[in-house]
Amino acid sequence: MANQPDIIAIKIDHDKCTECRMCYVVCREINFNAVIIDTGPQHLHEIDMDRCVYPRCTVCLMYCPAEGSIVESESGRSLVPPAADAWTDEKRFPRRA
Amino acid sequence: MNQPATIINASLASAMRQKSTAVAERTPFDLVAEKARAGELDDDQIFRLLGRLWVIKRMMYYVYGGWAQGLSVNEYPPSIDYLLSKQIYDDSTHEMLFMDEILRRGYARSQPKVFAHEYGTFMQASRCGHLIFTLRALANYAHNLRISALNLGAKVIELTWLERFGGAFEDPALSRLFGGLVAETESHIQMGRFVVERFVHSDVDIDLAQRLAEIVRRDYLAVLDEVAAFVLRVDSKQSNEIPEIPKGLD
Repeated sequence: MANQPDIIAIKIDHDKCTECRMCYVVCREINFNAVIIDTGPQHLHEIDMDRCVYPRCTVCLMYCPAEGSIVESESGRSLVPPAADAWTDEKRFPRRA
Repeated sequence: MNQPATIINASLASAMRQKSTAVAERTPFDLVAEKARAGELDDDQIFRLLGRLWVIKRMMYYVYGGWAQGLSVNEYPPSIDYLLSKQIYDDSTHEMLFMDEILRRGYARSQPKVFAHEYGTFMQASRCGHLIFTLRALANYAHNLRISALNLGAKVIELTWLERFGGAFEDPALSRLFGGLVAETESHIQMGRFVVERFVHSDVDIDLAQRLAEIVRRDYLAVLDEVAAFVLRVDSKQSNEIPEIPKGLD
């Protein structure tokens, strides 16, 4: 997925994330499974850009309760709450056919 | 002469852990670790292992659900409620990590596929089922007793094989996966120690704590035997036998 030109890398800001796991649950619910648990001792959440299709899917942003905890990797722009341009109908398809 | 309760109970917690550590010296999972160290586990066997470990971890929801229902408000200090919540969260994390690895390795395309797969199905008529229903039945006992039985019984054995697995797999992802579960599992053992030291006081509780830990150890070892046999594709010695009842419980 990461090699597709329209995919934008996003990541979790661990200073702001509350580890509530809503992103993990909803991502798994739609079978993208892009939110993973890091196997290190702290078991933080990470986003696997080999699976994530943002901005085509924005389901994690919709459910994340912690402002600023998911950001665009390159620009650092906060996606929580999601900006209007982050989830237009043309870009999002949270459920596969 | 009577000793202070804290010293008596510290001794009990230590004795319970030592007994479990002695049992964990040699378990059926050592065979799996040896195969892993020799690089002799194929993808199907790793899927079998991760699948069955995932089954056990996800069934802990069922166990903890029953236990939490049996916790009354103000029965214990808030710290005890917190520790149970943390343990539930940790075992949930472990379940997620096993599933992540199954998906990452491409053994299945999605979690629902693993639920339906032979390697990820919970079977009641199995040693795993036996353990889960044993743990579930601990809901009939007070919280101090069930936590001490699980955390100073099965969790001590779990810690031992996790440490061995962490060093056995050459694959860095698997080594990191198993090694990364050690700290939280050790914390569960410390929770068990804390509960025993603070809340196992009466003679009846001291006796019951040891008896229940014995049962949990027995059933957990039977699960390890079953899973090891499944992973190594051999017949289990114990899977068709009724486990021996510990002395004093028959």
